[in-house]
Amino acid sequence: MTAGVVQTGSGEGPADASAVEGEYTRMRWPQLIWSSTKARAGIILLLLFVLVALLAPVIAPYEGTRSDFGALLPPSGDHLLGTTSQGGDIFSQLIYGSRISLTVGLFGGLVSTAIALIIGMWSGYKEGTVTDDILSFITNVAIVVPVLPLMIVLIAYSEVRGVPLMVFVIGITSWAGHARAKRSQIITLRNRDFVTAAKFAGEGRIFREIMPSMTSLVAAGFVGAATGAIGAEAGLSFLGLGDPNTVSWGTMLYQADAQGAVAQGLWLWVLAPGLVLALLITSLTFINFGVDLLSNPHLRED
Amino acid sequence: MSANGPQPTPLLRVRDLSVRFEPRMSPALTAVDGVGFDLADGEFVGLIGESGSGKSTLATALLRLLDKPCRISGGSIEFDGEDITTTSQDNLRRRRWRDIGTVFQSSMNALNPVMRIEAQFRDAIEEHSDLRGDAVTDRVRELFEMIMIDPRFMAAYPHELSGGMKQRINLALALANRPRFVLLDEPTTGLDVVVQRSILEAVRRLQKEQGFAVLFISHDIGTVLELSDRIFVMYAGRLVEQQGAASLLENPLHPYSKGLLGSYSDPRADTVRVTYIPGRPPDLSRPIEGCRFAARCPEAIERCQSDDPVLLPLAGGSVACHVAHLQRGPVQDAPEDLPEPTRVFAGPAFVKTAEDSARALRGEVFLEVSDVSKVFKHRRGLKRHSIQAVDNVSFSLRRGKVTALVGQSGSGKTTLARMITGVDRPTSGSIRFIGSDGDIEVDRLPTRRLRDYRRHVQMVFQDPYSSLNPALPLRYTLTRPLRNHRGLSAKQAKAVAGELLETVALTPSRRFIDRYPHELSGGQRQRVVIARALAADPELIVADEPISSLDVSIRAEILELLEQLVTDRDIGVLYITHDLLSARLLADEIVVLNQGTVVEHGPVLDVIRNPADSYTRTLLDAIPNRYLKPAQT
Repeated sequence: MTAGVVQTGSGEGPADASAVEGEYTRMRWPQLIWSSTKARAGIILLLLFVLVALLAPVIAPYEGTRSDFGALLPPSGDHLLGTTSQGGDIFSQLIYGSRISLTVGLFGGLVSTAIALIIGMWSGYKEGTVTDDILSFITNVAIVVPVLPLMIVLIAYSEVRGVPLMVFVIGITSWAGHARAKRSQIITLRNRDFVTAAKFAGEGRIFREIMPSMTSLVAAGFVGAATGAIGAEAGLSFLGLGDPNTVSWGTMLYQADAQGAVAQGLWLWVLAPGLVLALLITSLTFINFGVDLLSNPHLRED
Repeated sequence: MSANGPQPTPLLRVRDLSVRFEPRMSPALTAVDGVGFDLADGEFVGLIGESGSGKSTLATALLRLLDKPCRISGGSIEFDGEDITTTSQDNLRRRRWRDIGTVFQSSMNALNPVMRIEAQFRDAIEEHSDLRGDAVTDRVRELFEMIMIDPRFMAAYPHELSGGMKQRINLALALANRPRFVLLDEPTTGLDVVVQRSILEAVRRLQKEQGFAVLFISHDIGTVLELSDRIFVMYAGRLVEQQGAASLLENPLHPYSKGLLGSYSDPRADTVRVTYIPGRPPDLSRPIEGCRFAARCPEAIERCQSDDPVLLPLAGGSVACHVAHLQRGPVQDAPEDLPEPTRVFAGPAFVKTAEDSARALRGEVFLEVSDVSKVFKHRRGLKRHSIQAVDNVSFSLRRGKVTALVGQSGSGKTTLARMITGVDRPTSGSIRFIGSDGDIEVDRLPTRRLRDYRRHVQMVFQDPYSSLNPALPLRYTLTRPLRNHRGLSAKQAKAVAGELLETVALTPSRRFIDRYPHELSGGQRQRVVIARALAADPELIVADEPISSLDVSIRAEILELLEQLVTDRDIGVLYITHDLLSARLLADEIVVLNQGTVVEHGPVLDVIRNPADSYTRTLLDAIPNRYLKPAQT
């Protein structure tokens, strides 16, 4: 209420009308996120990654999957970060690898958020009914099941490898926590006075009333899920469960590990993919600081 | 400030204290601006003002507990000779709780939920004194007896206690180390009137016995007047008046004080006149020229627009008002526009005479509640509990009349309202709505027909801060009922929404219709809530304590609006409240509810003047009686 609102009483003359309209500027959500330094850094970094992924054929000197160079060449003008023991160009692999991470992040995040939203909202809306009991039970089971072994088993037994499988497996294993959060949010929201008021206003569905207050939570959930998906993809690929015909940062790490890169002192091979992975995840985490400002006005004040 | 008589070194000496509030994303403002006062040992001082006047900020600053983005930007606070604004945190920590005790506004949550009460006392006592072991237990027992709570509750957890008990425990905690100064920041807000009364009586009694000084902050002028020796009035970050309690009541100097005092009256009087202060406080983030109250002041003269008044001694107190000084000060060249001195607020008022109140029981009955009971059953493990919330209640509502449903919290008021609006169903008995287009048996209403019923019955909620969706503009909120209940097209609905805003005096409507609730003041929000209730063109409005969360200074304004709507539109209102003054002002009939049963029922003046039930008398007694004296004589 301290947000610079000049509003004199109801019965007063129009003299202050211009002041009222001129003074108050409502911060829209993009402005709000942008106003946080951390989020700003995160957004710029993420845009950079997206740009690199889109322009990969332009930036990378070679195809990411090409491996007909000399093995273990040191960094040079031809091979900025040198080559692998199979004769692949590390720099090109790094550039092309960003495509896999971002794709899995985007779609893994979307699938997981969608499942969480449907299950969470449905069970929250039906709070206290048998439907809620069943959905909550499923959610709880999904929370306690150890995720990593489950993912490994699912991928190990599937016929095909590749990005769609990754997205599917990550999506169906990572929604549970978010579903729980959304269920609680719905429950607190639907008991607010303004929802009762909407019922008195003859609204059949209260979705329209509740959704605006949910958006920031959903957005934060999505960014979190995308971060998780990127990490999970890298982890699974590192364990050798990625698609052997594509290059991702995870598979690069897998190769490096399998060829004993650390033991041979080939630091660039290990550090480069590790570092970009860390940077991408950091950028998303920073963005979430900005998204937090949306849902928690208290953070905006200092 | 100490104009009358010599004074020893005061316990608390505040000079020119300013607090800046500097949030990162909105303009900075001075929440407390150049405040100075003295507080002597053993003095009981009240601090009153509307919400947002800086009372609580001042209190937090006195303890130097301000959090970012607030900071003390100037002035000094001397407690017992030591400047609190500059002393080290270690020194401060020793002073807090030993010398200065506090009971905060939200102290319902101030107790640690995972610790037993005794352990919380033990922490506070052992930190600040040499008492250990059984001596502490004895001291806690003594404190419990002081606040009249059975010492066996020492072993309880906070959730096992009622709100009133928790607040008394907080008081005892504040007094645990025999402080010399106790700061009470709205200690009874949110509690039941009768409970409030008992807590404040405990405060006054203990203060007399132990002689600590008190700064009692509240927006409830009635209680402050009754308890305090001296009163500070705060407006827009400044102290505007300082006087003894009795003389403030007899002879308020500042028009703002008059306005605050005018919001109380004796509900038993023949003619009840309650004033309200139109408008709202200025935006402190922008420069203000002249007196800060001038825009709302009925006595303002030309000079008030340009000169900022300072707090100067006058008639035994001090006041920051040009008009008061010109009227009562030493003879000066009085400007031509100087008004005659008055005791009462010269602004708008809501007046209700005995004749107005005698029109009851005439309208045509349109809602009949007969023999309604409600039993809540719940199961914990294998045990079944049942609670009789409403027990055999009958009354009827009349078209174009207001019926007040009065009762303590837990008396079944809200349950009854939920049954009348079709949210809950009674366990037995019937509720019959005799509408203009046919009768509706509300007690047997199937869920799918609820929507049709709500075309006739609408609600005004207690808290306008939670009953408007913060994420949606007023246009959306107001057009939904128009489209749903009246089947208007989007264009028609928009036009009618504008008219509704005009009806509740939010003019011009185009300035308001695209706003969001957080851009409005509490009073304006409540007007929007009323407008939304009117949108469906209902025959009955259930108003659940619609003014209890608003500032006293604007309550009468909302009541007046409600009354006008009742008369103009022939709507019946069920007005739920625990406040007899507002019931007198608005209602024609009163139904008093206690523990689920109707204990009293009749025309408003009969019930208030000749209360037959002991509970009604308790409610009347809970009205600060210092206030009633001048009204009766």
